[in-house]
Amino acid sequence: MAVSSSMIGTRIVWWSVVLLSLLAVESRAGEPQRVLMLHAFGHAYSPWSDMAASFRAEIIKRSPRPINLYEVSLDTTRAKDTSDDGPFTEYIKALLSGQPPDLIVPVGAPAAFFLQRNRAQLFPLAPMLILGADIRRIPGATRTEHDTGVLLDLDLPAYVENILQLLPQTKNLAVVVGNSPVERYWTSELRRAFEQFADRVNITWFNDLTLSEMEERAARMPAQSVIFWFLLSEDAAGVPYSEDRALEAMREISAVPIFGMGDYQLGRGIVGGPLMQTKALGQQGADVALRILKGDKPSSLDPPSVRFGPPAYDSRELQRWGISEARLPHESVVHFRQPSMWEQYRWPILAVAAIIPFQSILIGYVLFQGGRRREAEAEAALQRQEVAHLMRVSLLGELSGSIAHEINQPLTAILSNAQAALHLLAQKSPDLAEIRDALQEIVHEDDRAGEVIHRLRSLLKKGERKGEYVNINDLVRSTISLLNSELIGRDINVRLDLQNGEFVTRGDSVQLQQVLLNLVMNAMDAMTSTPPTQRSILISTREEKAGTVDVRVKDRGHGIPPKLNDHVFEPFYTSKDHGLGLGLALCSTIIQAHQGKLTLVNGEGGGAIAGFSLPVQKAAFGTA
Amino acid sequence: MTDTFIVYLVDDDAGVLKALSRLLRGKGYDVRPYLSPRVFLEEHDATVPGCAVLDVSMPGLDGLELQRALTVANGFHRPVVFVTGKGDIPTSVRAMKAGAIDFLTKPVKDVDLFEAVSRAEARDAEMRRLQSELESMQAKVATLTPREREVLTHVVAGRLNKQIAGDLGTVEKTIKVHRSRMMEKLGIRTVADLVRMAEKLSRTK
Repeated sequence: MAVSSSMIGTRIVWWSVVLLSLLAVESRAGEPQRVLMLHAFGHAYSPWSDMAASFRAEIIKRSPRPINLYEVSLDTTRAKDTSDDGPFTEYIKALLSGQPPDLIVPVGAPAAFFLQRNRAQLFPLAPMLILGADIRRIPGATRTEHDTGVLLDLDLPAYVENILQLLPQTKNLAVVVGNSPVERYWTSELRRAFEQFADRVNITWFNDLTLSEMEERAARMPAQSVIFWFLLSEDAAGVPYSEDRALEAMREISAVPIFGMGDYQLGRGIVGGPLMQTKALGQQGADVALRILKGDKPSSLDPPSVRFGPPAYDSRELQRWGISEARLPHESVVHFRQPSMWEQYRWPILAVAAIIPFQSILIGYVLFQGGRRREAEAEAALQRQEVAHLMRVSLLGELSGSIAHEINQPLTAILSNAQAALHLLAQKSPDLAEIRDALQEIVHEDDRAGEVIHRLRSLLKKGERKGEYVNINDLVRSTISLLNSELIGRDINVRLDLQNGEFVTRGDSVQLQQVLLNLVMNAMDAMTSTPPTQRSILISTREEKAGTVDVRVKDRGHGIPPKLNDHVFEPFYTSKDHGLGLGLALCSTIIQAHQGKLTLVNGEGGGAIAGFSLPVQKAAFGTA
Repeated sequence: MTDTFIVYLVDDDAGVLKALSRLLRGKGYDVRPYLSPRVFLEEHDATVPGCAVLDVSMPGLDGLELQRALTVANGFHRPVVFVTGKGDIPTSVRAMKAGAIDFLTKPVKDVDLFEAVSRAEARDAEMRRLQSELESMQAKVATLTPREREVLTHVVAGRLNKQIAGDLGTVEKTIKVHRSRMMEKLGIRTVADLVRMAEKLSRTK
């Protein structure tokens, strides 16, 4: 029997000598165990290559003894008939030097069939583990006592049920399946299994198409269609495909979702669903293989078939086709989830999320503070007004006797004039001219009393700062007339030295008068121990600098003691027994509010000079 | 003595001054109003009958100082009525002790003012009468001889004629003559009157 060179050439032999861990070597320094893996197809054909890879990795990892692994590929996609079995068996025998291996593992049904056919020649007593064949193809009866299998039990209708659950509107279903012998078997199995859905979907079969034809069809599939990719090892033209490449190519151009049959397809373009478990199969296969290698009788082991695991889906495909995850079965597992914004940018998001409230709090705090500051400012302004008012009241309280006198004088004149008039009238020939004169005096004196009261009232009135035009010279005169009797009572001579001209400033006349009153009264208080003949106050106004008026109040009192010099404008600092210490502090505040400056210095010839300068408006306005 | 009674009115407040003078003038008084206490002092004539109505609180010279100045001027009390806007008790006590007629509070009622001024007028008249009496007495005393004045002194001291004669180194009879001449010159009949007169005179010294 001749073996074609191409067949030999494509047969791949894997020599794998695996070293176990040092511990295992020490405890079981036995011979390596020989395992023959028989592949039905080329080594890169899914799903068998996936099952094999999983099995290989598991058994090597978990075996307590070294495993000497022989792998032979039958390449059944190309071997069209079984007549080539002979040379192949010879080859395998030669490969194993005629010594039966400790375990033979055919992967996939065609490999199992090959061994079943050639068991008599090929190590009939060696234990065999059939891996990954569907249970339909390897019924129990075909096995010997040396055989066992970790088989698949594919629930074919479940594939379509999954599709219809996810996409209930599906009208067309195209099944991708190849044209190799094993695929032809499956085509008929699928046809039978899918018959029940014929009234719900129109099923087309791609088994007689080349891959490019399939792709063409897939690209033009109408809406409400899906592709079910079962298996494509070899298309109708006999071209073999390692499946992943073909699937990925199809996925690129397909107009409709592609569903698949095994977990190995997930991530290569299928939506997902109940899937064949290649990985679990490899693991279970390794479990059984290890027990056989340990000495268990294969027929005593009857491992269950491997069924679908929990439905698994590819999140990217679900999104691509607009399939809501809500439609997925409960126990579904979704893979390849695009990391959500949250997952992808978790820390930046957390940082931003942390910063935003922090900033909001800061902003809120700043606004709150702003509000509070405005409130506090308003409150302070109100308090300043209150204090100013209180100070005026207390100032006028000090002056009350003198002020009463200022009102009493006109009242006296009025009474006397009136009584004089009455007496005149009582005479036989009343002097009418004299009576008229008396009455005119009464009117005049009444005006005078009214004036005093008006001045008082405006000083006693509470109110916001007003902006009005104030004639400074008039203000000085009016202030002195208010203090007139107090000055007389204290034997103080007042001299006014007011520069001619209208010094008109803009401000609050009441508050400015308050400042003047305060300064003059301070001057009066300063002179209590000055001999009466020397008691005098000089009040002057000067335009020292263009655009400002300087008001000076000069006394001949004790002056400012040096230690007080720095404190005179401080609130609650007082040198008087009865003072609050607010007078000058308040005056300073008032003058500052009028864009001026309050000064207090000692005069050259003794006494103190209190003064302030205020900006002067261009004249020609009315005066206050 | 034939001069009419003058009311000197001093108040630094022009309105009050005018009104009070109108009131007093209406009552028929001859009023001399003064705004300045100093001008008043300069122009004041103590010899004419009258009274002063003074404001207490005035610049330069207040009412109490003025009252004192008036007294000091000639040892003669010009009757003073005070009118004040600030009727505080210490000031009024001081004023009254210094011989003020009254201490009136502004605004002043006409009746109070008239009553005070008329009392001042009476006081002034009384004082003037005493004054003239004293002056005539002094004039009479001035007519006595030195011997008669000596005798007068001894009589007032309560000594008997015999004792006086012993003191002066003369006889009782001579003393009797001096004594009756002295009594005659002075227009006094009894020793009691003589003593009273002597007291009045000594008081003004």
